[in-house]
Amino acid sequence: MECYSEQMCSIFVDGELAVDEARRLRDHLATCQRCRELVDALRAENRVLGESLHELPEEAADPVGFPRLRLSRVWGDLAALAAVLALVSVFSAWVDKLRIPEALEWLNPFSADGLTNLIFNLSYYFAHGGTAMLADYAAVVGGLFLLLGGGGLLLGRRWRLHQPGLYLLIVLLTLSLPSFALERRHAEFVTVAANETVDDTLLAAGNTVRVEGVVNGDLLAFARTLEVRGSVKGDLVSFAKRTVVSGTVEGRIYNFSQSLDLDGELGHSIYGWVQSLRVDNRGHVGDGILVGAGDISLEGEVKRSATIFAGNADVSGTIGRDLTMAGGSLTLTNTARVGGNLSARVRHMKDVNIADGASIAGKRDIQVRVRKSQFTRPRFYLHQAVWLAAAMLVGWLGLALFPGFFQGCTQAVGAGWRSLGLGVGVLAGAPVAIVVAAVTLVGIPVSLMLLALYLAAIYLAKIWVGAFLGRMLLKRSGATRRDWLLGLLVGLLVLTIVGFIPYLGGLVRLAMVCLGLGAFAWQLHRSLRPAIAA
Amino acid sequence: MDAENNRAKGPQPHEGQQMEGLDLESVIERARGHDAEALGEIYRRYVRRVFGLCRYMLDSRERAEDATSEVFLKLQRSIESYDGSIPFPSWLLRVAGNQCIDALRRQRRGRQVIVEVEHGATVVEAASAEPSPLGAVMGKEETAQVRDAIAGLPENYRLPLVLRYYSELSYDEIAQQLDLRRNYVAALIFRAKQELRRKLAHRNK
Repeated sequence: MECYSEQMCSIFVDGELAVDEARRLRDHLATCQRCRELVDALRAENRVLGESLHELPEEAADPVGFPRLRLSRVWGDLAALAAVLALVSVFSAWVDKLRIPEALEWLNPFSADGLTNLIFNLSYYFAHGGTAMLADYAAVVGGLFLLLGGGGLLLGRRWRLHQPGLYLLIVLLTLSLPSFALERRHAEFVTVAANETVDDTLLAAGNTVRVEGVVNGDLLAFARTLEVRGSVKGDLVSFAKRTVVSGTVEGRIYNFSQSLDLDGELGHSIYGWVQSLRVDNRGHVGDGILVGAGDISLEGEVKRSATIFAGNADVSGTIGRDLTMAGGSLTLTNTARVGGNLSARVRHMKDVNIADGASIAGKRDIQVRVRKSQFTRPRFYLHQAVWLAAAMLVGWLGLALFPGFFQGCTQAVGAGWRSLGLGVGVLAGAPVAIVVAAVTLVGIPVSLMLLALYLAAIYLAKIWVGAFLGRMLLKRSGATRRDWLLGLLVGLLVLTIVGFIPYLGGLVRLAMVCLGLGAFAWQLHRSLRPAIAA
Repeated sequence: MDAENNRAKGPQPHEGQQMEGLDLESVIERARGHDAEALGEIYRRYVRRVFGLCRYMLDSRERAEDATSEVFLKLQRSIESYDGSIPFPSWLLRVAGNQCIDALRRQRRGRQVIVEVEHGATVVEAASAEPSPLGAVMGKEETAQVRDAIAGLPENYRLPLVLRYYSELSYDEIAQQLDLRRNYVAALIFRAKQELRRKLAHRNK
């Protein structure tokens, strides 16, 4: 009988020959010494192979050294983790002491109070075209950040910036920022008693913050209600839902609340963004006013100019210099005195009511913004085309830099309600997180980064939603870059056109931002998860 | 976070000292319940073997370390799929082999690691030429040389060879992991050995 080939013998030795074939070979071995020797040699060879392989290479021989080296790979992760932990611990110590979250409960969309506020604010912004404004603002800032970020990333890749080093640098920078001395107070009810003097800047957080005594520094307040009955020698920065100043603030007021009532004395100006601003007839503003507000009522005295952007503005008090107003409607009552010029930008002539008894020393300049349909102006189309091109460019850049992430986000938009719900949460929750993070100097870089991410995401929302919409309309897989970009173009066109439909457009834009943000958050969560808890 | 902890804790020598005497089954049982100590113990017992496989399969130490980390990170979840039908070390090495092949595939942007060449299954063989299998030419103490030679083999020979003689997988299992036909795997293993002999013979001259 003819001998078996060496390969056949080798397979036999490996125990991989079919049963009957193996039996035949075994029978043959009984008669053929040459093949027997071959098989024995092959067995020995297998043994040597196994033994050699199982004696691990030198580099694996030291089990103690191994984890240390393995660490080099997770070094970046560890550095990042350490950075986050350090920041969180520093920050949480603050938050814990301040109980700011409680004080900001009115902003928290998940509390009943916050929800009411959110709904109220959303309807307000919605009615005043705030969504468009937000999106436009985000477009500019987000685009800028994106450009900077993208540029930085490209340069970083070229320079091969060592990531752990970068993380460490950020941590060191963050931790090395000086923090200034200030006094912190937190309680359900924070009071500076009438006979009390706080020499430092006071950072107060609580449900109600009441100052009846004296604060020699600035007052920084987070509360549902802030009342200043005593005096603040420095500036007042308020994030309270309701701010009432019936005492004295010698510096300026920076106000981001729902309402600000000034009954008392203010040394300098008011800057703010509020729903309603009222300067009572006992109120006195030592300098000027620069605010954006839903409703403004000026009954007291403003020493210098007032520049206001408002839905409704009622002036019955005195303004030392110019009154500049833009917005919905302006009313000057008989008791109103304007020391300088009056200029107003309104929609209709009838929106400006100046009583006969009102005195205006300077010129009256009332301009009615006759809104010719913007669709008739060629500039409008140019503008839209530029924005579209920019969005396409950003989309292309994003797809080139983070293909998986962008595709994933597009995909995540398809989750519909999940993305929408998540998006609403992120849209409302992120500003709270940003404000809370910004409270400490240490937290400022974090909050800036968050802000950049937030605005960038708001801008990018339309790209992911657009790409998804386009893909749906074109019924393409969107798997290739060309498909994705084509889908994006179509989707963006549709979104842009729909965006100009009155009322519905605003709703669509809001939904788009929410969907995109939700998809982003989801994708971010997914892409971070395997790295942390694979 | 758990995984992170695990990764940080696992390697420490004091970890799981009370586990040391424990038999493998109980350790696995506890690991299945996401017991970090038990997972650490498994790491301690098998990290070298897993790393060894990864080191043979992948071309750099760093990537082998990455793959090893991945295997143990994923073990938290993957251990649930271990049904006890094969010995645990074999199962773990199979998982590790898959991890390495995945890594190689990723490196090739999703392309297959070893591509079958047409007529590849036929082996050119000098008809019953004088066999010079390894066992005959090698002294047993020269295992380091053998390892070097294996490391120097091209990937399409090295991977099946290592999976066969290190992970002790069957031809079928190797075929499945590498997405090749069984015959082709057999041919590759045989040719790998031939190539190895040639290399070693050359070196010994």
